[in-house]
Amino acid sequence: MSYLVIDHLTRSYAGRPVVQDLSLSVERGTFLALLGPSGCGKTTTLRMIAGLDTPDGGEIRVDGRNITGVAPHKRRMGVVFQSYALFPHMSIGSNVAFGLRMHGLAGGERRRRMAEAIALVGLADHTDKRPRQLSGGQQQRVALARALAIRPDVLLLDEPLSALDAKLRKDLREEMRGILRRAGATTVFVTHDQAEALSIADVVAVMNQGRIEQIGAPEEIFERPSTPFVASFVGRSASFTGIVEDGAVRVEGGAVLHGNGLPASGPVRIVVRPHRIRVLAEGDGAQNALSGTIAALDYTGELVEIIVDTPTGRVPVNVATADAAWHRYGAGQTIRVGWDVADTLVFPA
Amino acid sequence: MTSRRAGWLLCLPAFAILAAAFVWPMLLLARMSLNQTSDTGVLIPALSVATYGRLAADPFTWQLTRDSLVMSAGTASIAVLLAYPMTLFLFRTQSRFRTLLAVAAIAPLLVSGTARVIGWLTILGDGGLVNALLGLLWLPRQHLFNNWTGVWIGLTESVMPYTVLTLLAGFGRLDQRLEEAAATLGAAPLHRFWLVTFPLTLPAVTAAWSLGFVLSVSAFITPHLMGGGRVFVLATEIYDAATQTLDWPAAAALSVYSLVLLLLIFIAQGAVSKRLAG
Repeated sequence: MSYLVIDHLTRSYAGRPVVQDLSLSVERGTFLALLGPSGCGKTTTLRMIAGLDTPDGGEIRVDGRNITGVAPHKRRMGVVFQSYALFPHMSIGSNVAFGLRMHGLAGGERRRRMAEAIALVGLADHTDKRPRQLSGGQQQRVALARALAIRPDVLLLDEPLSALDAKLRKDLREEMRGILRRAGATTVFVTHDQAEALSIADVVAVMNQGRIEQIGAPEEIFERPSTPFVASFVGRSASFTGIVEDGAVRVEGGAVLHGNGLPASGPVRIVVRPHRIRVLAEGDGAQNALSGTIAALDYTGELVEIIVDTPTGRVPVNVATADAAWHRYGAGQTIRVGWDVADTLVFPA
Repeated sequence: MTSRRAGWLLCLPAFAILAAAFVWPMLLLARMSLNQTSDTGVLIPALSVATYGRLAADPFTWQLTRDSLVMSAGTASIAVLLAYPMTLFLFRTQSRFRTLLAVAAIAPLLVSGTARVIGWLTILGDGGLVNALLGLLWLPRQHLFNNWTGVWIGLTESVMPYTVLTLLAGFGRLDQRLEEAAATLGAAPLHRFWLVTFPLTLPAVTAAWSLGFVLSVSAFITPHLMGGGRVFVLATEIYDAATQTLDWPAAAALSVYSLVLLLLIFIAQGAVSKRLAG
């Protein structure tokens, strides 16, 4: 049986639905990422699990217990807030020991558990400092230690890395994953950053407008998006609309594209990931091919993204920069690009 | 011109006004306090501290000091105690009446002190609202005016808007997330308040209390009118010495004494809040 179960959860603010009939379940020890654009209801969902917000309908169960009506201080949820919400008037040690104190742990045991949690995040030398004396990354780790110290049933992280700069974010992401693995905590992580969600989570739930669009392993979400929203929100993609005719799709500009699982007729949307598209050399063929002119080259380091304008629409193509071959390409050149039928995602339009 | 010098120059008008309207009169007052009064009440120009000596030897001066300090500390404390929950509510409420409520809380500032006292008379007077209600309930009537009770009630009310404003400004650094964090860590509502919210508002509380205290010490209209001539504090005594007995050196000396007293209390308060903030 699943450890954390969210059952038909609903919440609206002033008549505007924020979370709509949301259901999901998480196994013990699993790291779940709630991924979605801002305003999709992911933070509200997290706050309802923590008990800081009350659902209008539905149920939240942990380990079979219904906790929907339980006050937040009786829930044992460890929460790391986006702003960390460290107590500014307390030392790092007191911050981490706060939850232990509230759970009635006395003297030696409290000190031992506090030291253990602070050591887990590698801040043992900073126990007596105040939060404002620490850097953003250190504060984030204190918040994590404080939440983990009470050995929560579920650890809830609300965009815990969003206040940090890009480099630190990536380092801390890996570190945090390591810490949580060691702690064995069941974790729900809210983020709008798809790279973060894909790299850190065991399971990703993509949310949009208060609903879950797709839930699955990171690779599944990325390679087999089940809705156009997931395809466009997670990762970059080329997207065309067309009409099914004679088992193929006639797209704008007259080209014909092939795909698996096409409907018998009617309008469809075709989505292709840039890393599945390749540049076709002279005489090369592909199951789906388009020709166009290079609009721009977007150099990002390991990859260069070639933006190709075709009569059908704009197509981004990823080319590795490991060899210098990409220097051949320049804006204004005519180019042919192609991809396989298996990499063609088809959605009803 | 450096920005430092520009800064000083910009302060100049304020300094000038302060010098003309405060420092100069205070110096005149200090000078006056060194004059003497003959037994027949005639002003004798002199340079002596005899007036201070006379006041220090008079037990009434010490009674005035004690009563003034007790009254000011008491009214400031009651005002902060009453204002705190109200201000916390004002600070947090999402109600669309929030602005209206805030205006209502500081509305007494818009009314003149005299009008306020007359208002209180209709409520607290022997034939006022409170006693009428007590009468209806067959309870004994109370004297709530022209005595210390009246002065405490009136002063507390007149000081409260200032404490509300000071607390409201000081609550700026309160973050709702901190209480939520405390909740998720297992703190019940009362614990959240005592361990998180209250400590963070302590600087605002001491600031509000000090302001209330200073305003109460220097308050004249309320003790004068609501005390009905039966309540004696430093401010009323200065007024009587200056206008009734025409003992100007004594009035001046009491003024200087009050000022020094306030300064000492301010320094003490500064030291305390520095330790709180540290």
